[in-house]
Amino acid sequence: MEASNQAGEFIPAALAAYGVEADEIELAVMQAAHETFWPPILELLELDTSAAASEHDPDLSQAPPS
Amino acid sequence: MSEPLDLSLRDQAAAIAAGDVDAGELLEATLARIEARNSTINAIVETFPERSREMLAAAPTGPLHGVPVVIKDEWPLPWRAQRFGAADMLASPEPGESGPYRALRDAGAVVVGVGNMHELGASSTGNVSVYGPAGNPWNPERCPGGSSSGPAASVAARLVAGAVGADGVGSIRYPAAYCGLTGLKPTFGRSAMEGHHMADVSTTIVSGPLCADAADARLLGSALFGEKLRAGDVSGLRIGVIRDEVSEDVAPAVREACEAAIEELRQEAGGEVREIELPELPAATLATVLIANSESLGGITPERLNNLDPELSPLGRGLLKYRLLLPAVATVKSHQLRTIARRTLASVFADVDVIAWPTVPAVAPPLAVPMVELPSGTLTADAANVRGGALANLTGIPAVSVPVGSSEGLPIALQLQAAWGRDELLLDAAEALERANGRRWVEAVPPLAQGEPSEA
Repeated sequence: MEASNQAGEFIPAALAAYGVEADEIELAVMQAAHETFWPPILELLELDTSAAASEHDPDLSQAPPS
Repeated sequence: MSEPLDLSLRDQAAAIAAGDVDAGELLEATLARIEARNSTINAIVETFPERSREMLAAAPTGPLHGVPVVIKDEWPLPWRAQRFGAADMLASPEPGESGPYRALRDAGAVVVGVGNMHELGASSTGNVSVYGPAGNPWNPERCPGGSSSGPAASVAARLVAGAVGADGVGSIRYPAAYCGLTGLKPTFGRSAMEGHHMADVSTTIVSGPLCADAADARLLGSALFGEKLRAGDVSGLRIGVIRDEVSEDVAPAVREACEAAIEELRQEAGGEVREIELPELPAATLATVLIANSESLGGITPERLNNLDPELSPLGRGLLKYRLLLPAVATVKSHQLRTIARRTLASVFADVDVIAWPTVPAVAPPLAVPMVELPSGTLTADAANVRGGALANLTGIPAVSVPVGSSEGLPIALQLQAAWGRDELLLDAAEALERANGRRWVEAVPPLAQGEPSEA
């Protein structure tokens, strides 16, 4: 299913679950954001990152420990 | 001597120190120039002449003694809370001594105004702000870049010679590129950050300088770092470049100018160009945005989102609410990707000293319609720009944007990135590039900065 189609159901349902209200313009903004973000999010979720446990509290001022 | 207002940051400081320029007169002239030029570009959203005069009166003898500077509306001042370019920033800002303010004060600088910024720091364009959009001094109908729109536009228009921005996902480098400046995104944690409303939670945001050239960025950066950024040697510089589908998706004029600049830098340094691979780059872009967005969620509650200030733009309201819907699992994946990208970069920087690619893939788009034309088609400027800007924020490495060309009367910029802690090398490389092109691009001045009739 296309992200644009999903957004029509997903966004209002998710907002309702949080109890967050949104007007038509805000919903249109969120739908546009969803169409931009959701496909690459799904691609990100497909990545196999299991071999790379996240650095615990990484020191971003330095290279990672080798 | 040139008009003191048009001197570089370092020359203003030197002239004041030598007694050739009176700092009080420079401050008053700066305020007058802001009055004369700012209405065209809306770069500075507030001045406070009495505060500035008091700051000058108390200024210590430091490397920036008496030099007027602008600071982004992201940093609190003792007499003014930041607004983050927004009618509602979720946090409860208060006036205070932010780290950048202290750094400027202790260096003897005079904060002369607050720079406009894109609402909530949420875009690379600068076309939405509670103060109204900022304009690009090269063409006020074009975007100045964001989110540090006002700091960049104020330096490009020669209102001041230096400004302090903040960079969470490219927000110093994009406006530096659009406005033809040198903008440094420091290594994470190396520059002053205290007092930022996200200082305790952000792993991407840093303060940094926006100046006309690398030497000025070195001077202002030294104040922000709290240590002298010493000049070094770039002989034998190894320059890494990427040749893949996304990296090649750049407007032809931008690609041509950046490739020429890379070759000029190689020749000037007597170095070499090596092809490298960063397979995580496309996913790293999204990961950066997700991490940055998740880190901004701490102050969000459903009740708060239902009571946003109505003056917040519809875009801002919608995007704030959408952040609530981003899946946590994607953020976890993003942190894993950060680890992978950092390890890949550590390996890459064993083989090259800097990585070079266009800061932004096209020149500044129209304020009214911030879209860019690329070989792959039409994209929002944000979607296009974040591809090149995000990696440094995700991984913590430093990056600098330097002007290297012009198209449609608008600047083109090259970005250089280096390993953690090698900020000085980036400035060395930027200066080498300036030497190579005869300082043609750092000395280019937009029409707006070429003098008003009243100044003739």
